[in-house]
Formats: sequence, C-alpha cells, structure tokens
Amino acid sequence: MGLVPWYDGRDGMYGWIWRHLPGNTWVKALISLALVVAVVYVLFQYVFPWAEPLLPFNDVTVDNQ
Amino acid sequence: MRVIVRTVSELCITVGSVIVLFVVYVLFWTGVQADDVMDDQIQLLQEQWAKSSVPPTAAGSSTGNTASPPKPAPYAKGKPFAIMYIPRLGFTWNKPVLEGTATGTLKKGLGHYAETAQLGQKGNFAVAGHRRTYGDPFKDFPQLRRGDAVVLTDGTTWFTYRIDKGPYKTVPSDIEVIDPVPRTSGYTRSGRYLTLTTCEPEWGHSHRLIVWAHLDSTQPVEAGKPEALRR
Repeated sequence: MGLVPWYDGRDGMYGWIWRHLPGNTWVKALISLALVVAVVYVLFQYVFPWAEPLLPFNDVTVDNQ
Repeated sequence: MRVIVRTVSELCITVGSVIVLFVVYVLFWTGVQADDVMDDQIQLLQEQWAKSSVPPTAAGSSTGNTASPPKPAPYAKGKPFAIMYIPRLGFTWNKPVLEGTATGTLKKGLGHYAETAQLGQKGNFAVAGHRRTYGDPFKDFPQLRRGDAVVLTDGTTWFTYRIDKGPYKTVPSDIEVIDPVPRTSGYTRSGRYLTLTTCEPEWGHSHRLIVWAHLDSTQPVEAGKPEALRR
C-alpha cells in the first residue's frame, strides 16, 4: 500500500496523499486539515493578491497609470 | 480510461475550490483587509498631525472664506496626506487620501492623481477610488448630487467642496476630466476644483464615473468641524 504513484493508484491524488500521511485516522484528519489551511493561506497571501489586479476592478483612473 | 476520468474529476474539484476561494477573497477578504489598512492610514495621519500640531493662532473664524491657504509641502508618493468625508455616502464615511494612483496605493485608500493640483490650491485636485473591492469606498458614487459636500482635511485646514456636476459617465481615455479647468464640467474659468473618478459599471472597467466640485469654503481645524459635517 502506498507504494504506487498517485496516477496508478486506485483512488487518485487525494487518496494517495491520504495513504501517505502517518498515524491513525484522527492524526491523518488533523494533518489534512493543517495542509488545507496551509494551502488556503498561501493562496490568500501570495497567489490571489497577484491575480486580483488582473481583474477589471482596479481600473478606476482616467489615465491608466 | 478510469485514470483519466479520475484525474479530470479531481482537477475539476480542485480548480472549483480555488475559484470559490478566489471569489471569497475578492468580495470579502479585500474589504476586510482594506478596512484594516485604511484605519491604519487614518491613525497614522492623526498621529502625524498630533505631533506637528500647530499652536492655535488667533482662530478668527474664517468660514466662508476662500482665501488661499498656505501652499502645502509636496506629498510623499504612496503616503496619506488627507482624510476625505462625504456625508452623502454615509455619516461615518471617511477615507484616507494617498498620493498617487498606483494599484498598491489604491488598496490603502483613495488616490490623488500625482500631476494634479494640491488640496485647496488653484487647479484641479483629482482623486480616484475603488467602486468595488478593497472596502468598496465609492460603491454609492451614483447617488452623489449637485450641492453635496465633499469635505477634506489635511490636519490644519478643513476644505469644503460642493459638487457641481453629478455622476458623469465617460470613457477611460478621457483624461481631460482631470484638467485644471475640465471642459466637460461646465467650468470656464480657472478655479479651485475637485474631481472624483471611479469605475463604471460597478464590476466592470469599460467606463468611468466622474463628479466635479468647486472649493466652497475653508476653515482652520481649530474652528471646529465645518457645517457640512455637523449633524
């Protein structure tokens, strides 16, 4: 178990991650939660602030500077 | 085959979640952040003003007086220098005004077009602000009407501008609207004007909404809040 890469496994990327987390179900759930929080943090802190100016809500000036 | 279907479905779930999170970020989180940052900017200003508090000179009430206030020092790029109040947008509506209209500057408050006149000076004091996202400062921009007050303070003087021409819709390349004497506003002579710009439609960027105002009165801060801000 867990030795097959995620694209060969029976239950996909998320299943692969789940099988590679250590500990029992509770520990796995806790680590998963931490991972989700970390991903959301990175998105909100770095990815979205970069992507948001590409949307039209920032164009409020008349000289486009 | 199963691998493809599974990979595609996992990708869809992932992308979908990211999109939902992004919408939450744009609609909600930028507002939370902006409120925080704008409060910080206003606090920064008030601390600055408290430090350099001018000893109250013979505070002869000069209400209704449009005499030129002393020319302020050049504004520092990206730094706040004034607070704007517009009673029509809400009695508690007040936003910091920062120098420059860079994207990062407009996240922290309203942005003063760097090449336009300074507050209260001859020419056109032009300010841009977000209609939506980043605290929605100009969300109710279309409600502005002729005669509405736009009050600003730079720590020493209250400036009361009165709106002359209500929301005027134009295209983004119409830079004449922030000219010292904006032609479309109906002003013909040079004077002390104020221009506000934001985007139109609310969530789009195809047009701009403009209002113009003229300087109606000034008074030193020691003389208390101007008429327009008294309840």
